[in-house]
Amino acid sequence: MSSESGVQSSELNNPPQSPLNLRGDKRGVTIAVAGNPNSGKSTLINAIAGTRLHVGNWPGVTVEKKSAMFEHEGRQIRIVDLPGTYSLSPYTQEEIIARDYLVHEKPDAIINVVDATNLERNLYLTVQLLELGIPVVMALNIHDEAVSKGYKIDIKTMEDILGIEVIPTVATKKTGLNDLLKAVTSNTSVHHPKKLNYGSDIESAASAVERQIKNSYPQLLEKNPLRWLVFKLMERDSYVMDEIKIGDNISFIEEATKHLIKAHGDDVESIMADERYALASGLTHEVLKKPEFKKMEMTEKIDKFVLNRFLGIPIFLAAMWIMFKLTFDVSTPFADWMDAMITGPFKRWAEAILGLIQAPEWTTSLATDGVIAGVGFVLVFVPVIFAMMFFITFLEGSGYMARAAFVMDRAMHSMGLHGKSFIPMLLGFGCNVPAVYATRTLENPRDKALTALLIPLMSCGARLPVYVVFIGAFFAANAGTVLWSLYVMGIALAVLMGIIFKKTLFKGESPMFIMELPPYRMPSFKSLMIHTWEKGKHFLIKAGTYIFAVSILVWFLLNLPWGVEHKKDSYLGQVGQVFAPALEPLGFGNWEAASSLVSGLIAKEIVVGTMGEIYVQSTDDTDQTEVPTLTDDLKEMGTSFATAAKDAAENVISTFGVASMSSEESTEETEERTPLRGILKGQFTPLSAYAFIVFVLLYMPCVVVAIAMKQEFGTWKWFGIAFAYQMVLAWVVAFVIYQGGKLLGLG
Amino acid sequence: MSPLGLLSTGEKAEIVEIMAQKGSCHGTGKSHDCHVEDMGLRIGKTVEMLNNKGGGPILLKIDESRIAMARGMAMKIMVKKS
Repeated sequence: MSSESGVQSSELNNPPQSPLNLRGDKRGVTIAVAGNPNSGKSTLINAIAGTRLHVGNWPGVTVEKKSAMFEHEGRQIRIVDLPGTYSLSPYTQEEIIARDYLVHEKPDAIINVVDATNLERNLYLTVQLLELGIPVVMALNIHDEAVSKGYKIDIKTMEDILGIEVIPTVATKKTGLNDLLKAVTSNTSVHHPKKLNYGSDIESAASAVERQIKNSYPQLLEKNPLRWLVFKLMERDSYVMDEIKIGDNISFIEEATKHLIKAHGDDVESIMADERYALASGLTHEVLKKPEFKKMEMTEKIDKFVLNRFLGIPIFLAAMWIMFKLTFDVSTPFADWMDAMITGPFKRWAEAILGLIQAPEWTTSLATDGVIAGVGFVLVFVPVIFAMMFFITFLEGSGYMARAAFVMDRAMHSMGLHGKSFIPMLLGFGCNVPAVYATRTLENPRDKALTALLIPLMSCGARLPVYVVFIGAFFAANAGTVLWSLYVMGIALAVLMGIIFKKTLFKGESPMFIMELPPYRMPSFKSLMIHTWEKGKHFLIKAGTYIFAVSILVWFLLNLPWGVEHKKDSYLGQVGQVFAPALEPLGFGNWEAASSLVSGLIAKEIVVGTMGEIYVQSTDDTDQTEVPTLTDDLKEMGTSFATAAKDAAENVISTFGVASMSSEESTEETEERTPLRGILKGQFTPLSAYAFIVFVLLYMPCVVVAIAMKQEFGTWKWFGIAFAYQMVLAWVVAFVIYQGGKLLGLG
Repeated sequence: MSPLGLLSTGEKAEIVEIMAQKGSCHGTGKSHDCHVEDMGLRIGKTVEMLNNKGGGPILLKIDESRIAMARGMAMKIMVKKS
């Protein structure tokens, strides 16, 4: 996307390492953005940086890192988003990343995003940020909600007590952002925070440690802010102790904190935490006036239903059903449109161009039957994937995702996990790869491994193309329901496997969890778009790289040995024939299906690409009608896109029960357009088609997931287990469906 | 004094003791109750029970945040009804 390249090129021009901008005295500034989860930090960054936002990972870990470079009133600004944290203690990956960045990279200033509706807890982090001695500007965010709740926040007093500038902001409406940027880029020395007084016991111990450091370890101060270092040593923070290699020479710390520990009867870490909280709490009481009468909030009203003992799970299932139905209804017309474009004009153009340069016949075949058929068939599903990512992003952004974890906690317990594991699993519906990485948020290694093992059963976006082709061919009338049944089956089997694993591999207690349920908020359209793009782009990248390469490989395997007459005798066909008998009892024991499944081990969407290559090229020469001109093609693209948009809109309406006849019409239409569906109808019965897509749902995680699992756990062990159990599960379930269905007379 | 987990929906109480043992929640041996306290659950705070269905996790309101918590953990936090 242009934003990425834009950021990268500007980084080349202005290397972030050099604080001095070449253009005269305009100094570049690096600003870190810190704040609690759910403080609107992400929205604020999006609003400030917009398309200039670059999303990557923090080095060595897979926690998302957002940054942007841009000019503001003649100054070069580099903004870095730190992970959302409640504190700077070293307990979670996010906290360690945030504090390492602040201490070692020494940004010029910190924007501390504070949720104005939840001051006390947010100020706890602020107090810790002030210990670093870095200039801080506070963005008092979600200020509009605080005002509408009747809160009165005395900003002037807050500024006086903390010694920093406080700017009220509403990131969702982009108010206050200019003032914020102005404050943070203006002469930063003004914003040096005050040293808060931690009480005489702590302060006297601190000054003893401080003296000792200045005398004996002055070199430490080059790398660490003094007050922060003193506090961390007093707390015996193991990370800091290891890092500065102070070794066993801690007697001076013991000496300094002896009185403190005796007077408070607790360890220093707890004493410090209490004092920080007392400071945050005291400040809140000082500056915040709440109205006497409090009305019931919208969030609580909604939660009464959504978290209800009886309604919770039905509401969750209904929400999922609506999501899949909408995904399918909105995207199908566009997918059909892309399909028609790729198999129509694009293919003709490619043929025309290759004909023009008199390319040998086999290269034309490679380009059209290999690359266009393979990559093209997969690209057709871009609308479906993006629609799905959009709805998942919406669920995350609105706050419902955390409720789903709450509601499902009980069910998760039956499989030896708790509700928190449910979030990585839900993300698995988008793509299993980030889901495996998201298991990092689980503190317990046992939970982590078990969750990662079950994630591949969550049907990811890459499997959608396969479902869509088969559902389009066999179950068009009940598309949403059939699709939903696959997802539910994945969940049900995850529960079953979880129970089995709990009794075998993972004996023992599942630990306790605690998590915050954010208030419901309408995600802004912009942040929905940004995150949908972030989730969906991996699919596009895969299409451009893996799938492109595999399409070419599959073409060669289908056309070698050279001059092979029937594809059945090609290398891929031979491999397919080897595996086909094993698939016979499942209803699809032909070499075409087997070959597609084998190539799908790389990535599941390749199953469709391969089918496209196998089936379609052999038949499409039959309807060689008059070749349309370029203008005809372009005109047709435009009008058919408009029709697609209209169909999508109509489908959405019909989702909610308004009668519409368009669905049947469009099925017939698409059948003409996509030859693959027609051919599949000859090869599969509805029953064997369903068994096939269930097999695709279950049969193994793709190669990228395998790599992710290896990275997360440092061993192939868990992937090996996942591979083995899924193969068995896929075969058994498809067998039961096909044979059971036949017994019931469905086949 | 009673465990937090026994408050019924709608009741309010003040936290008097946090007994969630250190090390009980982090498998890595790090204590988890730091996290409990970082999220605003501290001695002297008033909490409101928003959802206690008698099974599964409980939902608390503390200041302006809603915190979901495993029942087992809620049984290790002692409160005084106000």
